[in-house]
Amino acid sequence: MSSAAAQRPNGLALFILPGALLFALFFFLPIGLMALMSILTGNPVVAPKVAFTTRHYARMIGDPFYLEVIWTTIRIGLVTTLVALAIGYPLAHWMARIKSRAGHALLLMAVLAPMLTGIVVRTFAWMTLLSDRGVINQTLISLGLISQPLKLMYTETGIVVGLVHIYVPFMVLTLTGVIGRIDERLEQAAENLGASPLRAFLEVTLPLSLPGILAGSLLVFALAISAYVTPILLGGFQIMTLPILIYQQISANFNVGFAAALGIVLLMISLLLVVAYNRALGLVSGQHDLQ
Amino acid sequence: MSASIEIAGVSKVYDGGVRAVDAVAMDIRQGEFFSLLGPSGCGKTTTLRMIAGFEIPSAGAIRVDGADITHVPAHKRDMGMVFQNYALFPHRTVAENVAFGLRMRGLDKATIATKVKAALAMVELSGLEERRPAHLSGGQQQRVALARAIVIAPRVLLCDEPLGALDKKLRQQMQFELKQLQKKLGLTLVFVTHDQEEALAMSDRIAVMNGGRVEQIGTPAEIYNQPTTRFVADFIGDTNIFRGERTTTNTMASAIDVGKDLILALPRSPDIQGTGILSVALRPEKICLSPRADAATATATATGSCAHGIVENTNFLGGAVLYRITLEGGHRVLVQQPNAGTSRLFVPGNDVTLDWTPADLVVLKD
Ligand SMILES: Nc1ncnc2c1ncn2[C@@H]1O[C@H](COP(=O)(O)OP(=O)(O)O)[C@@H](O)[C@H]1O
Ligand SMILES: [Mg+2]
Repeated sequence: MSSAAAQRPNGLALFILPGALLFALFFFLPIGLMALMSILTGNPVVAPKVAFTTRHYARMIGDPFYLEVIWTTIRIGLVTTLVALAIGYPLAHWMARIKSRAGHALLLMAVLAPMLTGIVVRTFAWMTLLSDRGVINQTLISLGLISQPLKLMYTETGIVVGLVHIYVPFMVLTLTGVIGRIDERLEQAAENLGASPLRAFLEVTLPLSLPGILAGSLLVFALAISAYVTPILLGGFQIMTLPILIYQQISANFNVGFAAALGIVLLMISLLLVVAYNRALGLVSGQHDLQ
Repeated sequence: MSASIEIAGVSKVYDGGVRAVDAVAMDIRQGEFFSLLGPSGCGKTTTLRMIAGFEIPSAGAIRVDGADITHVPAHKRDMGMVFQNYALFPHRTVAENVAFGLRMRGLDKATIATKVKAALAMVELSGLEERRPAHLSGGQQQRVALARAIVIAPRVLLCDEPLGALDKKLRQQMQFELKQLQKKLGLTLVFVTHDQEEALAMSDRIAVMNGGRVEQIGTPAEIYNQPTTRFVADFIGDTNIFRGERTTTNTMASAIDVGKDLILALPRSPDIQGTGILSVALRPEKICLSPRADAATATATATGSCAHGIVENTNFLGGAVLYRITLEGGHRVLVQQPNAGTSRLFVPGNDVTLDWTPADLVVLKD
């Protein structure tokens, strides 16, 4: 940026002001407060004598239970992301390449329709399917395939099923945009040079859609690790994740400092991923050979 | 080894009902530089894509060296293709782009490296192996696309307007080089272009297409000198087209009355039959221009190979001059004369006499 432009902001810069204020007020301020709370012994507003401390973080690291919660959260996030990718990629590829307009509209509707229903409603729907006396178990028992109901609910599997259903549209929409911008003729050029359609996909389309895969995965992972309603309803407090733990610390234990520390950890996981995403994107888009 | 291609009554109707290619038939010989020429939307790309295997014909068959390949998938056809926008793999280097087809053929690394090196040397791109396509000029990208297609020693090379994106100077240079390369390698080359000059300059034979159909197939000289249809005469080069009714006069056994007091003598040809309406074409350079001389041309006018007119405007082309002339009756005619020196040029307003040989008149099918 030229220094002249920096010294003499033009009128348009004023339009950024409301957004910038909003961002400062509702993003940086709360996160700053959260970070502050996580290293204080108490709430400075109600308790006059507070000091800096690392005890919230020490407690987390010292207790295998909390490490286990963090790991469970990450694991659920990873599995959800992988399953959403596995389901979402073929769908996105189909949507991006479909010739007929009507077909495209139908697919788009199919992807978006679930988003018109609230998360809570959709999670309850999964409960009626997955519970011990739910549709799936009842059907399997009446068919004589199993005698005891399968444990589908109150397991990580149940949570992942619910999360995948909710977040797959994000994956599909992100990927469709990226795949749609890849020129079909590149695949044809590969086939012309002797690559089977599968090989052409692996050699050309897949690597070129990596930015979309990364972006979609990042989005789904971040949403999945911060999900609250679905893990509670489908996990029934038997599977503990970070957001549930944070809620408990505030509402049941009134330990705001510890909750803040947990929140910071959740934020750090996402931030780390964003940094990794940027590095990876630089690598796959070949920006390293620009110098 | 280069192959011959036979396109037998091939049609293509797209899903929307567009008949892009309509009963096209052509025989492309081994080692031939064959052009598909026609205006945008006439079905050239579709025809080429059917040869390459990216579209399946709705009817007809495509044979290579006599073997039917109509339903053989693209990756088993062993054809090289240079796409209109080159379609280079953006995530791979120049060397990797060129190596792609060899890799798909399972060649070992050393052989691939040697062949890639040779191919890049052939298109004069040595030294750019590690660049990415985005960091190449248009002409360089074009060469990479060409190297990528010929390095696999394809049975047929297909090019879809490969020079369309280049500026004029570079295009002429590439035309020359491509032609050289094609002859050197003995490639069967199917070349798509909408540029008639390019097609005339490069091709052994040309198929002129219009509205999904083939209008005429022939050598550049045949296409230019003996166009068979009005479309071809009009599309290739400048031409004067007259339309009128068959007639006879006491000086002309076979003539055509094109109205406005102009009767043209027809060439003696067994092809011209009947009495109906005809179209004839006369190339601008086949007409001879001279200052008006009434006495000498009076008889020529009566024989249907001469007319008088006034120069409306002139278009100086360098080696030649193009005159737009209004005949006495009102017909407007283009005449091209070699540039024989400043003192011999006509200027607007000059009274001129035009004469030509009836044999240069070409009778057209509508
Ligand atoms: N994939 C397609 N679907 C429907 N119509 C098409 C498709 N491709 C081309 N067409 C139509 O077919 C006709 C011929 O197209 P094309 O072969 O690309 O012509 P050209 O290469 O001579 O410009 C055009 O009318 C074009 O709009
Ligand atoms: Mg085209």
